[in-house]
Amino acid sequence: MGDTRTVIGAATRISGQLEGDEDLTIQGRVDGKIRLTRTLTVEPAGVVVADVDVKDLVVSGVLVGNVTASDSVHLTERGRMVGDINAPRVIIVAGASFRGRVDMGDMDGARAERSAPARRENPAVSSAAALRPAARVEARNAPRPPAAPQRPAIVAAPRPPAPPAKVASGSAAPRPPSAPAPNPSPRAAEPPRVAAGNASAIAGTAAAASPAASWAKKKLKRR
Amino acid sequence: MANTVIGSTIVIDGEINGEEALTIQGTVKGKIALAETLFVENGGTVEADIETQTVTISGQVTGNILAKEKVEIRADGKMVGDIKSPRILIADGASFKGNVDMDV
Repeated sequence: MGDTRTVIGAATRISGQLEGDEDLTIQGRVDGKIRLTRTLTVEPAGVVVADVDVKDLVVSGVLVGNVTASDSVHLTERGRMVGDINAPRVIIVAGASFRGRVDMGDMDGARAERSAPARRENPAVSSAAALRPAARVEARNAPRPPAAPQRPAIVAAPRPPAPPAKVASGSAAPRPPSAPAPNPSPRAAEPPRVAAGNASAIAGTAAAASPAASWAKKKLKRR
Repeated sequence: MANTVIGSTIVIDGEINGEEALTIQGTVKGKIALAETLFVENGGTVEADIETQTVTISGQVTGNILAKEKVEIRADGKMVGDIKSPRILIADGASFKGNVDMDV
C-alpha cells in the first residue's frame, strides 16, 4: 500500500473536506476543501471548486479557489484558474488563463525591509505572469474606448436626419433628402476618378517618356 | 479496475456522488451515492450512509447500506449498520452487526 495513488474519476463528484499524504489526481469534480502533503493534479476534465493547501499543484483543468502551496503551482496551457495563489514557485504557461493575486512570499534578501520587498514582489510576480495578461488587456482596452466613441459619432451624424424625416412626414419629405444624399456622393466620387484617370495618364506618359529617354541615350551612345 | 480510487492516506469528510466504480483504501465519512460498485478494501474505513448498486466490503464500514443489487462482506470485512439489498453475502470470518432486509 506504499504506492497508493488517489484518483477521482470523471464521473465522480465529491463535496466536503479531503485530506491526505499522497498524490491526488482529479478528473471529476471536488467542491469544498483539499489538504495534501503531496501533489494535487487537476486534469483537463477536472473541476475543483475548493480552497487548496498542498505541496505541489498542477492545474490542467479548472480550479476556483485560493491555493496555498508549500512548493509550486503550475498552470498548464489547458489550465484555468480563478483565485489567489500563495506559493514560492508559480509557473503560468502560455495558453493558461488565470485571474487572482499571486504572492511568492519573501524574495531573496528582502527580509530586512518589510514594505520594500512587498513592493518589489508584485512587479516581479507581474513580470513573471500575472500582470502581463492584464497589461495586454489594458493595451487592448485602451485603443477601444477612442474607437468606440468615434464610430458612434460617425454613425450618429447620418442617422439623425433620416429618422426625423421618416417620423415627420413619412412619404414625400424623407425620400427627397435620401435621394439627393446618394447623388452628391457619386458626384463627389467622380472627380477623384477623373483625377485618378489623369494620374494614370500622366503615369503613362511618364512611362512612355522614360523608354523614349533611354532610347535617346542609346542613340547618343551609338553616336 | 475502478475509475475512482481513494488512497490509504486520504481522509474525506463529506459527500461522494458518482456514476462509476469507487475503491476506498482510505477513510470516508459522510455519504456515498454511486450508480456502480463500491469496494471498501482492506484498510479502508467508511463511516457513511451508502447507496449503490453493489458493495464489496473487505475493510470496515459503519453506516446503513442500500444496495440495488448485492452486498458482500468478505472474510476480512467488518460491518456495523443496517443492510437493505436483494442479495446479501456474508463470508466465513466476516463480522457484522445490524439488520438485514432482503425485501422478502
